Amino acid sequence: MIEARHLSKLYSRGLYALRDLSLTVEKGEFVFLTGPSGAGKSTFLRLLLHQELPSEGGLVVNGRNLATLKRREVQEYRRGLGFIFQDFKLIPTRTVFENITFVPEVLGVPANQRGRRAFQVLKWVGLQHRMNAYPLDLSGGEQQRVAIARALINDPVLLLADEPTGNLDPDLSLEVMNLLREVNAGGTTVVIATHDRELIRLVGRRTITLDHGKIVELA
Amino acid sequence: MRAFDYAMRQAWASLWRARMAASFAVIAIALAIVVLGALLLVTWNAQRLVEEWSSTAEFSIYLQDGATSEQRGAIEALLDESGATAGRDYVSKVEALSRFRRDFAELATLADAMSDNPFPASLEVRVRPEAEQDGRAAALVQRVIALPGVADVRYDREWLGRLSSAVRTIRMAGLAVAVLMALAAAVTVASVVRLGLHGRRDEIEIMELVGAPMAYIRGPFVAEGFLQGGAGALLALLGLWLLFVAARLWWATDIAGLLAGARLEFLPIRLCFLLVVGGTMVGSLAGLAASRHAG
Repeated sequence: MIEARHLSKLYSRGLYALRDLSLTVEKGEFVFLTGPSGAGKSTFLRLLLHQELPSEGGLVVNGRNLATLKRREVQEYRRGLGFIFQDFKLIPTRTVFENITFVPEVLGVPANQRGRRAFQVLKWVGLQHRMNAYPLDLSGGEQQRVAIARALINDPVLLLADEPTGNLDPDLSLEVMNLLREVNAGGTTVVIATHDRELIRLVGRRTITLDHGKIVELA
Repeated sequence: MRAFDYAMRQAWASLWRARMAASFAVIAIALAIVVLGALLLVTWNAQRLVEEWSSTAEFSIYLQDGATSEQRGAIEALLDESGATAGRDYVSKVEALSRFRRDFAELATLADAMSDNPFPASLEVRVRPEAEQDGRAAALVQRVIALPGVADVRYDREWLGRLSSAVRTIRMAGLAVAVLMALAAAVTVASVVRLGLHGRRDEIEIMELVGAPMAYIRGPFVAEGFLQGGAGALLALLGLWLLFVAARLWWATDIAGLLAGARLEFLPIRLCFLLVVGGTMVGSLAGLAASRHAG
């Protein structure tokens, strides 16, 4: 699913965010990326999202070399991804339901199809009863569940999460992780960047530890 | 079609949220179009009047007091054979004097005091419009002047030429002002669009990350500019119409009598349509320029 070969990301100040990173994530895997702040976790996710391009090396996702994608190909590639952020990035002026249907709407999916699918994913994350609420009326855990529902509405083959539990207490964090494990059980490859060692221990999946842009531990 | 529908809905919602700022942008566009429209209104009417006057052009051939009937016959023959004239009338010395008395009644005593009739006999010649335009009339005038028995020829085309040239100059100068104002309006529209863009940056980021097509990402901002430009243009046309009604009242009471009943007319529908298209184009381009920061 993901194949990084001698991947480096050099910023203009001469600082390496990633340096000669090589790793493979198989289809259907659930992988944690961990390490201290500045280790390169978020940079790796940004490369996977094609928000940035590698300075050196290659990154192939689902058979596509991300360094050579054209604009239209980037759009197609991203339609197969789901993403979750620490700060949820929900649109405060839209209801829960509208936040979720927003994604298929901007991809041109007809209204009846996107409504049906939105209801399914909301039900799956247990928030169908809050579909008309606005994000700011929800708790942090509920907001993150909405974000997960939004990430799943397009049935992504790869789900990327950057510190998805960073704003949540331990109980809610575990709840969110359980949801992500269920997503993974459905066949979706999941890559989570987190520095929460305790959570990683509780979930118990393959963990890649980065420090100063390099892999320092594989567990 | 879905992208268009989405863009229009989002644009409308965004404009409603920032309605105060959007109103300023609409007014800025309206002002630019009012300037351009007023200029078109003035120059279009002036051009129309010039053309009207040109099409009814005539010249007067003043005969020497001692001109013989043979000399007058030769002049008339040249006029008739030239193909440049649509008709002619002979005005005798007596008739010229009586016209003077009729047209300038307050000066009639002055004419009575003169022992001799000072007014020359003349031929008033109506020129064919095509001969006026292709220069045959002017050439004919040059030939007539040289004929024996002719004292003078009055062919006042220069002022029409000067008027046409003034209309062109006014049009160019006004166009430059209108372009500057349109640029200022475009900057205002772009600022309003950028304001909306700033407020929706999370939304735009999500759209980019889910692989939304450019039409969905930039479309709403172009549509915002389009709506502001269109609203500004329609507002400008309304303002122009009110200005026109006021100008027509003033014209009817103070000017029309001096210009032989010449009428003012509002811009033809095609020019109104072009102004609306221009407004929407300026708005859309400003929206497109502002949306470069999105996606």
